[in-house]
Amino acid sequence: MNRSVLIVIPAYNEEETIAAVILKLQRIVPQYDRVIVNDGSTDNTGKVVDELGERQLILPCNLGYGLALQTGLKYGLIQGYDIIVSMDADGQHQPEDVSNLVNALLTSNADMVIGSRFCEGQAYRTPVSRRMGQLFFSYLTSLFLGRRIYDTSSGFKALRAAACEVVVNGIFMDFHIETIVQMSLLNLNIIEFPITVLERTSGRSMHSVASVFQYPLKTILLTIAVLMDVLLIRRIR
Amino acid sequence: MSLQGIIFVDILSVGFLLLILNLVRTKKLNISYAVIWFLSVLGLMVIISVPSLLTLLPRLMGAVFPASALSLLAFVLIFLTLIFFSVQLSAISTRQIELAQAIAIKGLLAQEEITGPEKAE
Repeated sequence: MNRSVLIVIPAYNEEETIAAVILKLQRIVPQYDRVIVNDGSTDNTGKVVDELGERQLILPCNLGYGLALQTGLKYGLIQGYDIIVSMDADGQHQPEDVSNLVNALLTSNADMVIGSRFCEGQAYRTPVSRRMGQLFFSYLTSLFLGRRIYDTSSGFKALRAAACEVVVNGIFMDFHIETIVQMSLLNLNIIEFPITVLERTSGRSMHSVASVFQYPLKTILLTIAVLMDVLLIRRIR
Repeated sequence: MSLQGIIFVDILSVGFLLLILNLVRTKKLNISYAVIWFLSVLGLMVIISVPSLLTLLPRLMGAVFPASALSLLAFVLIFLTLIFFSVQLSAISTRQIELAQAIAIKGLLAQEEITGPEKAE
């Protein structure tokens, strides 16, 4: 099965880590295309990407992770890719797992494969507050979908083009639980695949102190809005 | 309200209406927002200038004093206006996002047209 695959890597001020990520990808999965979404970086991220000869989508201002990723997905759809893989630029995701996710997608009837840090008894360490949030949203998926998704906030995913359409056109924030709920309600199949995630060694996490309070509220509101949207569309149809 | 009070409020309101018109004329205020402010000020003028309305309104709303009925009305109006502004801001924000994304995508597509897409084997 020969499918075209695009790896989308949103990057905001990742000059310290982006080169290593790209070099590893070039070495380990050269058969897949890559595009870096430079999310209005104010450091040398763009220069580093250019020097490595990589394609980059340059956003004129910082839109945030979700919208940067959406830009990459839009580009992938315009270019007609069959499968799009999203991956973080901070070096936590392992390029070796890209092939695993793509294979899991191709050998199953799934529309999206989530690279999961928590399924199958994995023990990825996160701060207690974040872990509690992740557990809460994980159980929320059981409530909405009838089955549990263990890692709702993973940035490492592989999607078929049909699933990308939903993300590009739907209500959208960070491509997390709101997207998972939306896709599931639209009868798209989502599975999880265990991945290895390393600790962040440099740069800053996108999660600020304020986001500890903002993120859950925004996500819950958005998930309810998505739920309403999908149920209303179904009723109209 | 006394005649003196009504005249004072009406003069203030007319001044406010002129200010809105001038802001539209000088392109400092969008016509959509101007309509909201215009209708609000006109509504206030009518309610205050017609004494029977000022007594009818509190009765309809179940208020004891006309002042509390007017305050409630003002609160509702401000609340609706703020929601309207939030919607407008969101629309502008969405357009800005779409524009930024289009710039990024068109930039790369144009570059690929010149250099050729470097698709992997």
